[in-house]
Amino acid sequence: MTDRTTAPPVLDVRDVTVRFAGLTALDGVSFTVTPGSVHALIGPNGAGKSTCFNVLSGLCRPASGTVTLGGAELTRLAPHRVAALGVARTFQNIVTTHGTVADNLMLGRHALTRAGFTATALRLPGARREQSQHLERAREIAELTGLGAHFDSPVGLLSYGDRKRVELARALCLEPRVLLLDEPVAGMNAAERARTAETVGELRAELGLSIVLVEHDMGLVMRLADDVTVLDFGRAIAHGTPDEVRQDPEVLRAYLGTDATGEDAA
Amino acid sequence: MSDRLLAALTRRRAALLLFAVVLCLPPFYLDAFWLRIGLFSMAAAIGAVGLALLSGTAGQLSLGHAFFLAVGAYGYAWLAGEPGPGLPPALAALLAVLLAGAAGGLFSPVAARVKGIYLGIATLALVFLGHHVLLTADSVTGGFNGRSVPPLTLGGFAFTESDPELTVLGVPFGAEERLWFLGLALFAFTWFTARGLQRGRPGRALAALRDSETAASVMGVDVARHRSAAFVVSSMYAGLAGVLLALAFRRVVPDYFSLALSVDYLAMIVIGGLGSVAGATAGAVFVTALPLLMTRYADQLPLVTAPGSAEGAVGPTEAARYLYGAAIVLVLLYAPDGLHGLARRVRDRARRRRPRTPAPETAVPTPPQPSARPKEHTP
Amino acid sequence: MTAFLDNILGGLALGAVYALVALGFVVIFKASGVLNFAHGSLLLFGGYLTAVLHDDLGFAGALALAVLTTAALAGALDRFLLQRGGQDAHSAHVQTIVTIGIDIVLLTDLARRIGGDLLSLGDPWGDSVTRLGPLTVADSRLAAIVVSAVVIGAVFALFRYTSWGLSLRAAAEDLEAAALMGVRLGRVRAGAWCLAGALAALAAVFLAAFPAPGLERTTGQIALNAFPAAILGGLASPAGALAGSLIIGLTEALVVGYQSDLHILGEGFGDVAPYAVMLLVLLVRPTGLFGAKGAARV
Repeated sequence: MTDRTTAPPVLDVRDVTVRFAGLTALDGVSFTVTPGSVHALIGPNGAGKSTCFNVLSGLCRPASGTVTLGGAELTRLAPHRVAALGVARTFQNIVTTHGTVADNLMLGRHALTRAGFTATALRLPGARREQSQHLERAREIAELTGLGAHFDSPVGLLSYGDRKRVELARALCLEPRVLLLDEPVAGMNAAERARTAETVGELRAELGLSIVLVEHDMGLVMRLADDVTVLDFGRAIAHGTPDEVRQDPEVLRAYLGTDATGEDAA
Repeated sequence: MSDRLLAALTRRRAALLLFAVVLCLPPFYLDAFWLRIGLFSMAAAIGAVGLALLSGTAGQLSLGHAFFLAVGAYGYAWLAGEPGPGLPPALAALLAVLLAGAAGGLFSPVAARVKGIYLGIATLALVFLGHHVLLTADSVTGGFNGRSVPPLTLGGFAFTESDPELTVLGVPFGAEERLWFLGLALFAFTWFTARGLQRGRPGRALAALRDSETAASVMGVDVARHRSAAFVVSSMYAGLAGVLLALAFRRVVPDYFSLALSVDYLAMIVIGGLGSVAGATAGAVFVTALPLLMTRYADQLPLVTAPGSAEGAVGPTEAARYLYGAAIVLVLLYAPDGLHGLARRVRDRARRRRPRTPAPETAVPTPPQPSARPKEHTP
Repeated sequence: MTAFLDNILGGLALGAVYALVALGFVVIFKASGVLNFAHGSLLLFGGYLTAVLHDDLGFAGALALAVLTTAALAGALDRFLLQRGGQDAHSAHVQTIVTIGIDIVLLTDLARRIGGDLLSLGDPWGDSVTRLGPLTVADSRLAAIVVSAVVIGAVFALFRYTSWGLSLRAAAEDLEAAALMGVRLGRVRAGAWCLAGALAALAAVFLAAFPAPGLERTTGQIALNAFPAAILGGLASPAGALAGSLIIGLTEALVVGYQSDLHILGEGFGDVAPYAVMLLVLLVRPTGLFGAKGAARV
């Protein structure tokens, strides 16, 4: 289990290349996430952002390149081992299991608990104690993310915004060092967006997490992100602070199809 | 604890106690025919619960359940009998269950790699190959005619008519009466452990596997290991059911452990409601008791002729099968949650009618909420 | 040597008949994602119709009517029962179990009508044989190979050159995109079931013909052997079903033929050899020989 008392680790992506049947989804992508910062990953559709996330969470094996967290190499680990090292992720399409919010959050505690089949089936005191301890913690995290009132409600009955929050809370239940947020405000209205932005900011401040964010909402990115990496056609075309990136001619060309002189790109 | 919650819990416990007492009554009032139906239903329920954990929770479609039932049944018959090691029956029973689990474990590399529909067909192979082995390895299995099953003895107490002769409250306790209580105990154990699993860490992991393997693995669930474990657990329940069946039938024959039996178990969990332990039990009773009841009361049913009459007539076996097939189709198309889902909807509707409803039931037992609670946000 | 060739020919004939069944099975799977457990009883239904009608309508007439009726039944089952369940992946799982229920009802009815009888389908080959060099071959086996080859060829042409075939392949590839492109999914699906029903009815003829004693109530179970054949080839590939069927047919014939030498595997191993082969293949290739690997996606 990760030692959570030491300084937060550095997430380092180095020269990652991913190929699918002739298509190069990621081409030598590198970036570094400073501990405790919010790092946004932006780019036009199809740029490779989701593929990048899949590599970071262990769902996709790169053809070359490495991903390291602190000293540990994540690159070719199975997803559940990556989770055990402290990398949590949310999904674009919410994937919650049937049951209550509590059930879903407790799933997030899976990597931190140990009760096996036999102990649980026989309801041994150790397993029961573990369950109630972690349930308490899950409840705290629910409060933290504004889900306290819904803790025992079936997820199916919640609003879209609340369900997105369950995704987030569940990822937090992993007590991660790195949180990968995949389009956290997609489909939300302005109020919900503001609220999510606030939550993300709080998470960074209070928990000292490193957060990697894939997002299309530029306003959110500008407000929250400390660093931005821009992807286009699988390559990282710009790095820097939001302001730097916004004025970068390469980035403008990627998004708008024109270069700084106003000529149309091919 | 609030008064209302306390009252509800006490009411619940009282109801359970009453239910348990009622379940103990049949041996005193019913004859062997009914007791045997009950025994078969209990065994079926144990097996069905195992399948429910596998299919409904982990989402793996298995048609191989008959194979693991056979391992349990034949395992016990062989281990406790002659030809065979002739072990003490209680030990043989335990070993037979473990043997079934081991068989599940042996198959689990297939279960871990082969997914969904392919797994369903692969498990078909288990049933056919198993049936073939039962027929041909006749020195061990007794071939086509099967072999007899040694009765169970627990520390000198035999589950037969005599040994010792037993009369309880004026009722002579023969084999069926004694096995009834054994069956109840085994079923209670099954219920206890299965519900425990479902509500605990393994159950959550298995449910997550069913909904999305990708999401589950990202949450830290070791997918391959859990898929295998689900198979082993379900096989063990099947093995236990097999032992009880062997004891109830007193004989094991290969033709019983056929694809039709696997289909029966699938029907049980479907009709009962996928993924539900209570549903599996209800489904098991329905599927087991229906044909037997129809045979018994054939003369009172319209359109159904007595068994053994003219060929081509609709006898009780045929009628039961029609009903059975139709039930599968209708339940799945019109009530995909099965009996359990129906029951839940009825209960929810009844709750909504009451002016003040108690706290909603959750799958995870929540600690009672005290009225004032210091809220801390320490991460 | 003659014995070996005889077994090979028997295996090819068996494989050819399995191919008819397996092809229908795979087409259903491609179109609807459903594993049709009622395939055996559809086969028996078609055979039964041929058996009871051939006295009045002659073999050709009876067969034609049987094929059409079975096709209609299969299509109706899909259109009016199964399709109520929906079109997504989860419902396909559920619908697979529904076909189990349908199978039980159909089979109970047919078994009741057939009883313990052995029905003749009135096929024109009867028990006549032809000499081919050193071999004596049953005409029914030759017919099986020839007819299957022609029919399967026609089905493949159907896939390739008709708009229905194109719609089927499109729907199998990407359901949503196909619907957006105007493919009438419900009709394409029902059409696939009709085709499968027709193929099954045809297969019944050869399964009941010489050297089998006739159609009996267990004939449909042989259709179950086509499951491993379809799986071997990878469920979504018609060509794979063909290859798988031939492999299964040959394996079965050879095992039965050399039974005395293989006696350690037990008498009657030929019946279950298809499943053993299938397990072995699945261990190495979890999606069948020609099956595609699924991509990990959320």
